[in-house]
Amino acid sequence: MVDNERNLERLRPLLERLTAAVGADDAPEFERLLDDLVHARRKDLFAELRQLTSRVREALNSFQLNARFADLAEREVPDARQRLQHVLQLTDSAAHQTMDLIERCGPLVEVLATAGAQPLPAAARAAASQLRTNLSEVLLAQGYQDLTGQIVRGVIRLVDEVEATLSSLLRIVGETSACNGAEAPAVVNGYGPVVPGVDHGAAVSSQQDVDALLSELGL
Amino acid sequence: MSSELRFLVVDDFSTMRRIVKNLLQDLGFANIAEADDGKTALPMLQNGNFDFVITDWNMPLMPGLDLLKAIRADERLKALPVLMVTAEAKREQIVEAAAAGVSGYVVKPFTAEVLKQKLEKILQARAATVS
Repeated sequence: MVDNERNLERLRPLLERLTAAVGADDAPEFERLLDDLVHARRKDLFAELRQLTSRVREALNSFQLNARFADLAEREVPDARQRLQHVLQLTDSAAHQTMDLIERCGPLVEVLATAGAQPLPAAARAAASQLRTNLSEVLLAQGYQDLTGQIVRGVIRLVDEVEATLSSLLRIVGETSACNGAEAPAVVNGYGPVVPGVDHGAAVSSQQDVDALLSELGL
Repeated sequence: MSSELRFLVVDDFSTMRRIVKNLLQDLGFANIAEADDGKTALPMLQNGNFDFVITDWNMPLMPGLDLLKAIRADERLKALPVLMVTAEAKREQIVEAAAAGVSGYVVKPFTAEVLKQKLEKILQARAATVS
């Protein structure tokens, strides 16, 4: 509304001269003034368009420049999953190794308990019994691998979800922004392994669309 | 307790299967098979003469609760004792497992003594039903 009033104020002298040219039946002057009027309107329109495209470009650039975002989706999140899988493997292997040793210790206790003087002195019997109990408890303690493993698997599922969400976001950004000149193809290529089925064609065409608009506006 | 009994231990973690297997061996049971989830366990149960199932709850593909329901729904398997050994410890879960017909419920981490007591209790109840 304010803009419209300002336009009216700005164009009033031109309109008055146009009306005067009509009154004076001055056709050449009328044509000339009409051209001026149309030119003035076009200038306003182009200025607005220029502002708008500039804002769109800034918004898209800020998305693309956020390399951290792409890095998270294509490298760090999958890495995090790999690390967690590795923790599962390490704890699994350590627990089994411990149980291998426990299983080998059992018969050794029996050897100690049956070798030598029989009946075994009370202290030796008690020690053998305590050893069996301790070995059994060490065995049960390996259950930590199951308990921590279930928690780690839960976190892996969460990481999968985060990755899927990031991929969706990247797909949206990849499809709408490609006005970043040389940088855009690299970013889009980089997303490849993370976002299968990203429409590179559409991204390129929107780049062309933006370029076409910019060149039309003389930018 | 009869050492002739045939056990199936169902858990997606090989460490836990091994622990339960060792404890069963300590109790004198030698006939023990393993499965890594309900989906693998069910055909084993249908094709083999198992006397006892010890199962985890939280497993991929077919969790322990679904395995329990499938066992209770199977004409030939429905009387099979099923002991759940799981980290799932919410009241409502235990109530649900009981409603589904679980024979016993042990929460991880557990002791050898608790496992032994539960086994004995279930086997005694089974012996009383059979005789």
